[in-house]
Amino acid sequence: MKTTLNLPQILRSAACGLACVALAACSAPVAAPATTPAQPANTTAPSAPTSQADLSGIKTYLLDKTAALKAATNDLKAVSDQYYELAKAAGFDYAALFAGNKAQVASLIEDARAKWTVASPLYEQMEGIVAGTPSLAEFDVILDAGASKEEDPANPAPIDLTLPDGRVLEKPGNLFGVSESALWGTFEAFRAKGEFDLNGDGKIEFGEALPDANVLKGAVDTLAAQASKLADAAAQWTPTEADAFTALVVMVPTMSEYFDSWKNSRFIQGEASTQRDFVAISRLADIQDILGSLQVVHQNLSPLIQGVDKTQDEAIGKGLTDLKSFVANVHSQEKGGKRFSPEDADTLGKEAQDRADAIVGQVAQIAARLGIKIEQ
Amino acid sequence: MKKTILAVVACIAGLLIAPFGASASAAQPPALAAEALRSALLQAQLDLSQPAEAIAGVQAARATYDATLAPEMARRAPAAHLRIVDGFARLNAAIQTSDAPAFAAARADVWTAVLQGSYHIVDGAIAGDDAALAQTWLPVREFRRATRFARPNADATLAIDALDKGTMRPADALEVAHADLLDTYQARLNTALDDLAATNAKNYSTRRAEAGALADGYFAILAPAFQTQRGEAALVDAQQRFAQLEQAALAGNDVDAAAAQVEAVLRGFRAAPLTEAEQARRAGQMMRYIKLVPIEYGRGIRNGQVAVDLEIREATTFRDGAEAAFNDLRSIFETRDAAGATEAAQLFNELETHIAQASDQSAVASPDVVREKSDRLIALLTELVPPAWAGQDTGADFDVVATALDQMEQAVAAGQYELAESARIEAYAILESGPEAKIAAFAPQFKTSIEGYFWFGHDGDAGLAGLIQQKAPLAEVKVARKALDGQLALAQDALKGSNAPIAVATNSGIIVFREGLEAVLILAALMASFRTSANKHLRKPMWLGTALAFVASIATWLVMRSTLSLFASFGEKLEAVVSVVAIGVLLLITNWFFHDVYWKGWMANFHKQKQSIIKGAAGQFIGLLILGFTSVYREGFETALFLQALVLEAGPSIVLIGAAAGMALVVLFGLAIFALQAHLPIMKMLIFTGILIGAVLLVMVGNTVHIMQVVGWLPLNPIRWLQLPYWFGVWFGTYPTVEGLGLQFAAAAFVIGSYFLAGRLQKHKLAHGQAKRPTEQPQPMPATK
Repeated sequence: MKTTLNLPQILRSAACGLACVALAACSAPVAAPATTPAQPANTTAPSAPTSQADLSGIKTYLLDKTAALKAATNDLKAVSDQYYELAKAAGFDYAALFAGNKAQVASLIEDARAKWTVASPLYEQMEGIVAGTPSLAEFDVILDAGASKEEDPANPAPIDLTLPDGRVLEKPGNLFGVSESALWGTFEAFRAKGEFDLNGDGKIEFGEALPDANVLKGAVDTLAAQASKLADAAAQWTPTEADAFTALVVMVPTMSEYFDSWKNSRFIQGEASTQRDFVAISRLADIQDILGSLQVVHQNLSPLIQGVDKTQDEAIGKGLTDLKSFVANVHSQEKGGKRFSPEDADTLGKEAQDRADAIVGQVAQIAARLGIKIEQ
Repeated sequence: MKKTILAVVACIAGLLIAPFGASASAAQPPALAAEALRSALLQAQLDLSQPAEAIAGVQAARATYDATLAPEMARRAPAAHLRIVDGFARLNAAIQTSDAPAFAAARADVWTAVLQGSYHIVDGAIAGDDAALAQTWLPVREFRRATRFARPNADATLAIDALDKGTMRPADALEVAHADLLDTYQARLNTALDDLAATNAKNYSTRRAEAGALADGYFAILAPAFQTQRGEAALVDAQQRFAQLEQAALAGNDVDAAAAQVEAVLRGFRAAPLTEAEQARRAGQMMRYIKLVPIEYGRGIRNGQVAVDLEIREATTFRDGAEAAFNDLRSIFETRDAAGATEAAQLFNELETHIAQASDQSAVASPDVVREKSDRLIALLTELVPPAWAGQDTGADFDVVATALDQMEQAVAAGQYELAESARIEAYAILESGPEAKIAAFAPQFKTSIEGYFWFGHDGDAGLAGLIQQKAPLAEVKVARKALDGQLALAQDALKGSNAPIAVATNSGIIVFREGLEAVLILAALMASFRTSANKHLRKPMWLGTALAFVASIATWLVMRSTLSLFASFGEKLEAVVSVVAIGVLLLITNWFFHDVYWKGWMANFHKQKQSIIKGAAGQFIGLLILGFTSVYREGFETALFLQALVLEAGPSIVLIGAAAGMALVVLFGLAIFALQAHLPIMKMLIFTGILIGAVLLVMVGNTVHIMQVVGWLPLNPIRWLQLPYWFGVWFGTYPTVEGLGLQFAAAAFVIGSYFLAGRLQKHKLAHGQAKRPTEQPQPMPATK
């Protein structure tokens, strides 16, 4: 008898062997039905969404704002570069720089502040969307919301600044904050040493300081680069219903945080304030800008919400409008010269927060009824 | 007395205007009217320095109330209506005296009375199966403040929707609505008490008065639940203390003392009692979190100094999580052992102090001290937890996994990638030592994706281990985390109801059967071929290896009982190493098998080759012993890990019953192969055995490549166009990756190549031998059957 085997035999035997394994395999799916849990008595499965919202308006709005921010930060960068070159030419001897180029330096600082004041609100006008969308939220921490590692060692803004002179500022905080404290001189480490009477009135008042040119350039260059990255990321982003609901639920309830920073700012505390940012623009303006972007989100979701509950859609829309008006009214009084006391600010902050909680609660009810998951 | 008479008159007036109010109610939804009332009163408070405007604001609020809310309130919630009417009177009085704190307190009273009235209307509507009325009034409510980790509850809304559709009974809907609303108002009460403390510290008289009145108002909504749980006398006492607190806040006197009294009254009170399942889940969270505290603390301290801040913060997080769960359950613990509950609370405080001191580096307690206190606390809590909750709930595991992943994200945000990896491993170990076994059996479709996102990726998406290794930015880590969370949520959902004893026993049986099958196939195939007297001795080393593996598996099981998470954290890597050894040995054996068994004429010339075989006997013995050991232990380790996790959930007896059934199936399967092979003619048996070994080798290679990809020891390139069902991967080790299929193909080529190469060599040898000794012929194969 020959001991070699032929291929058909092998194949037949292979089929036999594999059949054994396959027999065992058959038991795998059998286990699954046993796991199907019975619905608990109190389970209330939401009805499935009946329509899809057209959210393209949110993206269009965001792209307009990111393009504007990109341009504005590049404008700021151009002025910051001029100031840096001037300081470099003076060997970063700021006393000599100021003595030799007082008018030019003062003009550049004023120009840079003006450019910053254009750029910052542009970001605030999209913050509601950026910070409330999980895939974009890190830009918010880097650009506008993140603390420095000294302020919040557990959760600092995840960015280090490499300055033109080679120094590295580890987690110095968000970029608008760093550039603001450099430009207005509210943080010693970011401003030039010495006293500089920018307006020549013989007194050194708030804001009369020169930025450390290295810090300013490092912060502004990175700000412009991040603004550009945000524009790219926004272009790649396609808003979903979950994104839109999440933006509303995440951002609307942050009112008390904004009022807290307003309460601690120069606008309330005056010279007693030690807050190094939010000195140039009142947080009340920022809140209105943020709410504006959230109104855009709601407007785009509105047809979907109306499909579930017209009254609640009306309540959400009215709630956002009223909240924005409420803040605008306070801001208008502030601009009119009214100085609110810290307790007034606390009362107003609580009212804003209560209104925000009510809006968010209603949004959450609609999301649940639509079966849309609000993300963490 | 006069006030009461006035209020009763107002109530009667409200009842009289009810029919007219109904039309107004239809004109404006109650929620919008309530919001208009609330904001008008706030504006009036802001305008208090201009009495005319303030009066106009209060009048507008009253008009809104009378037109829209009062009719239903007076009819269905008269007590709340009386409070509102009284509140409006106090508002007007406060304007007259320009008393801002009194106005703020009255405003808070009116508003919380509106909430109380709405609560009662919704309550009555649900009980009366009037979903439409409940839907109209439910929006007159507050919500828990949304945080990063918690969203406002929508349970009441969904329950009333279900009531409306007839898919939920009124009693069930009522229970859900109570739980949602009472939980919300208790949270608001706590916020009011916090605000009271903060505003008192800053001496904000108006805000303090408002916070005190809000606390009293929220408690009024919770009062029926308090009475049910604590009795009438306790309720009267509590109401007195809240009233004293409101007065103290208004007057600015002894607020701290009054607040302490209220805090004492509320201790252990939970307005919306947790269900039995929720209690068990909280208990599970508590025990898991507290066990992690000394581990994290110990990692953070070196030589009496804080070496790693993040570990201390993790210890804080886990302690806080454990204490929060403890507080939720405290009233139950106090009824079981009041002294034990008090001691446990004290130990929580002591741990908090130690960790806080280490955190701000004011004093650093030895890790031994923290360990000792934690151990004492764990022992106490183990005694306090009712036996019915002892079976651990998988939901708690998922909660702790999420907490550990939060720590990972924080570490990435801080640029501390080593700590992020440590937290990731921690999370994975918790998953492996808990729900993994159930996922494998009851939600297997999620096992690969969860592993992938934890490690080096899934379906082309990056995994957390890979991202941390590359020091990827937080945004990328968050994307992977989000994908992982999605899969974990789906798996958790799929596991609901799978902790019944029968389900757990089935689970354990399936695990034993599936893990044992591969080992049995190798053993049965090889041993069945060693059935002649000439090679029976070769069974011995395999049996010996198998026995050693059993002993090792049992030892692993025993050691795991105390250090489950430690094993779980490196389980995949151990499995990968053992699998590689098993494949190496199997390849050698395969080669030997084809060469010696097929091509040497099935021992026909055994005696002539005896010398050479004897020379290789020692190697053969060791090889077969290792094969027996590795084939069984690689499955035994994973089985021990999985079964241990199930024991935590359902106890050993149920798991062992299931495991015994699974083992019986494995043995039966092995015997069937033995019997099948024994009844086959020797030639067919050899073919069958050879094919079987080849098939097992392919499965082993596929599974080993998969596990090595999971731990990142092999790259992972998915083949996207090839979609294979999950069970196909589990049973055949075939996963659609270039590496997996490529190496399986290579293994198949090796097996088939070995077969033909061995034949070719043998023919060549025979031809060569014939040329030398033309008379020598191979003996014919004995026909045993």
